[in-house]
Amino acid sequence: MTTLAQLLLSGIFIGGVYALMSIGLTLIFGVLRIVNFAHGEFLMLGMYGAWAVTRILGLNPYVAMIAVVPAMFLFGGLVYRLIVSPALDKPHLVVVFATMGLSILMQNVALMMMSADLLDIPPMFGHAVTIGPFYFKAELVLGFVVTVVCTLVLQWALKSTYLGKAIRATVQDREAAMLMGIPVPRIFLITFAGGSALVGLAACVMMPLFSVFPTVGLNFVLIAFVIVVLGGMGSIGGALIGGICVGIVQSLSSYYVAPAFGQMFFFILFLLVMVFRPNGLLGQKGAADIGIAD
Amino acid sequence: MTALVQVENLGRLFGALWAVNGVSFAVERGELLGLIGPNGAGKSTLYNLLAGALTPTRGEIVFDGQRVTGWKSHQMARIGMARTFQIPKPYRRLSVVENVMLTAFQRRKSVRSARAFAEEILAEVGLSDHALAPVTTLTVGLLKRLEVARALALEPKLVLFDEIMAGLTPSEVGAMTSFVSTLPARGITVIWVEHVLHAIMRTATRVMVLDRGQLIANAAPKAVARDPAVIKAYFGEEMSLA
Amino acid sequence: MTRNPGRISLTPTRGTLSLFEIALLVICIVLVAAPIPQNLQDVIVLTFLWAGLATAWNIAGGYTGLISFGHAAFFGIGAYTSTILLVRMNVTPWAGIWCGGLLAALCGAILAVICARLRGPFFILSTLAAAEVIRIAALNWPSLTGGPEGLAISPSADAMNMVFASKHAYLALTLGYLLLTYVLTKLIDGSRYGYYLFATRDDEDAASAAGVNPLAVRTAALMLSAALSGIGGSLFAQYFLYLDPTSVISPELSFQFALLPAVGGLGTAIGPVLGSFLITPMSELLRSYLGSKVAGLHLAIYSALLIVVVLYFPSGIAGAVSRLLRRGGGKP
Repeated sequence: MTTLAQLLLSGIFIGGVYALMSIGLTLIFGVLRIVNFAHGEFLMLGMYGAWAVTRILGLNPYVAMIAVVPAMFLFGGLVYRLIVSPALDKPHLVVVFATMGLSILMQNVALMMMSADLLDIPPMFGHAVTIGPFYFKAELVLGFVVTVVCTLVLQWALKSTYLGKAIRATVQDREAAMLMGIPVPRIFLITFAGGSALVGLAACVMMPLFSVFPTVGLNFVLIAFVIVVLGGMGSIGGALIGGICVGIVQSLSSYYVAPAFGQMFFFILFLLVMVFRPNGLLGQKGAADIGIAD
Repeated sequence: MTALVQVENLGRLFGALWAVNGVSFAVERGELLGLIGPNGAGKSTLYNLLAGALTPTRGEIVFDGQRVTGWKSHQMARIGMARTFQIPKPYRRLSVVENVMLTAFQRRKSVRSARAFAEEILAEVGLSDHALAPVTTLTVGLLKRLEVARALALEPKLVLFDEIMAGLTPSEVGAMTSFVSTLPARGITVIWVEHVLHAIMRTATRVMVLDRGQLIANAAPKAVARDPAVIKAYFGEEMSLA
Repeated sequence: MTRNPGRISLTPTRGTLSLFEIALLVICIVLVAAPIPQNLQDVIVLTFLWAGLATAWNIAGGYTGLISFGHAAFFGIGAYTSTILLVRMNVTPWAGIWCGGLLAALCGAILAVICARLRGPFFILSTLAAAEVIRIAALNWPSLTGGPEGLAISPSADAMNMVFASKHAYLALTLGYLLLTYVLTKLIDGSRYGYYLFATRDDEDAASAAGVNPLAVRTAALMLSAALSGIGGSLFAQYFLYLDPTSVISPELSFQFALLPAVGGLGTAIGPVLGSFLITPMSELLRSYLGSKVAGLHLAIYSALLIVVVLYFPSGIAGAVSRLLRRGGGKP
């Protein structure tokens, strides 16, 4: 019984971390109505960045956020200007191929520069955190806390700041937003860059928990997509819920199901979600705009 | 002979709203039936239910003696019901004549004969000059004509027109109205949803008025124009009392 | 003859051959028979094979709008089917490749039905996920597929087993495959089915209102594309005489399936062929010069190329060349 509870709790914690990684993606989906196929590689880049700052400057990954997050924001802005923006007024498959190309490009540049070795950072806290009869890696709990704080801050910002409202307006009705004087292209840029910054934040939190290597993005991007679809595009709260669901599923299946099939199980789950609940558990609209027919 | 279209207690629910609620009517062959009503009356929903683009929540549709409730649009097209789209939906990467050929394939199996037939239809609607042009070069008026051409290429028994006058100049409206009024004589029954009321009132044999999902009038144009319920629906209580 | 403006084409009239295509065909036949060095022949075999695979992908991808990044799964299913039939049951590949094609077609149908309501990125992601499921299944089913060790075909030359000593035979075989996929594509081009594909891609609702059943069209396109990819997979297995899940059902391979038509020109028959004729030799050249020295360089170059082409040459090479030819007042 305690095993089950332990698994559930660690599933919730890791789910939170996965959610953090997916928030950027869901915002970009919701606002720009595009899929960034290079999302996993953005995470990889952030993780390498966190690793570099940690290993070279001797800082811990949480402090590294100060460098990594703004750097990812700039990177995201650059990618938006050079690749995403020119693709937006063209047929949809242009942005698909462009971001897919970017994904492969980043993977291979990483391979060229960093080799295929798995890299990680030494644990920050030597001991585990105990909560009642359960114990967890300190970095895991910390990651979950960061996620919750971040989610709350973002929810508040989206509700209360002008920028947040502008973003929500653009999600709901792009043309109406434009008519209201909202600079939609600038919102696109900020959202894309901001989403990338959030990925950088997630990368710093994930670096203590996972190793980084050039194709690490492939593992996480599908998780991120499942979370975004489950939670409904553009919904941050939905991403958190979706993340926790996914975390629990993964935690339980990696224990009760043979590891070799664990990953396949996850892909099958993805397909099931696609077939039966493409509008998300909460039934968000918006999926219709970019990928679901009636 | 039985009616071409028989609609029995048709209803469609969206969430908690009955966009179409208990609508029943019949359409005889050779009629030119206008469907009007204020905004939000449910005309589009009814239209899409007939065309097979939406599934009814309840009720029955019988077309040419066949029960077609819940049939999809391609099935409706194959038994002779054509439709246009309010916002034209051309195939962007095909030329004008190829757009019409697509529909023509239902009746002409070879590319050559479909093309010949498509060219005839284009001549009828006055688009011959643009046959080889990419659709992206057409104006709204011409795109609407293309919609009509595509529908006619089906050699349909029934054609549903969805606001084909919107965006047309007065002379274009006149030309289109004359054209539509010739269709029943060719054996094509017409159901015409339209906001440009004078076009309908002049040509329709019968007019149905929809308000808040329900049929409030179903009579000859003159009678409908004087019907107090219709006036109230369009203009409010005061006007009907005046 | 009537032209089709609005369609980029080096072969302007649907269903007929242009001088360009005929010239290319002649060159290919010459390459099959000519006495050229072996390592070059290797490159040409691969070029023909990839041109055929790209053409197969394009039937679903460019023509019908079903952009798949999981086609390596169909390729792998075909390859494994014919190889398992050969290695475990002594069935000649000349029959085996068609079994592989059929099985791949069946999987294509299943995918089409599963993804019936999915469009755009959701369809693409599903193809990715489905391919990974197939790969992991192949990896973990040693009794059937040999697991991670894979399967090997005996290299002793035997025409019945589709193993040849002479490269000329392989050149002929792969050119034959390219011709098969190309001819099928041209036939589609010139028939009303081609129009059904384009219409379903361009506006599904309008196509439906015109009497076209979008699900049927999609399923048929995917089945044909999958079958042809599977046959190509079998030929691949017969050429390299070895298969394993990681090299045959990988996401990198799936990317290549989509890359070649995208660069060459989606929506035309000749585009994927041009894409392969340009990229495959370049790829092999880079691989032989850089070898394992700089792993990932050639893929880095392609992906950069893809980004540039897709953003600035939306009709691919075929489109660019076609515009050049028209401007130069040359071939219509």
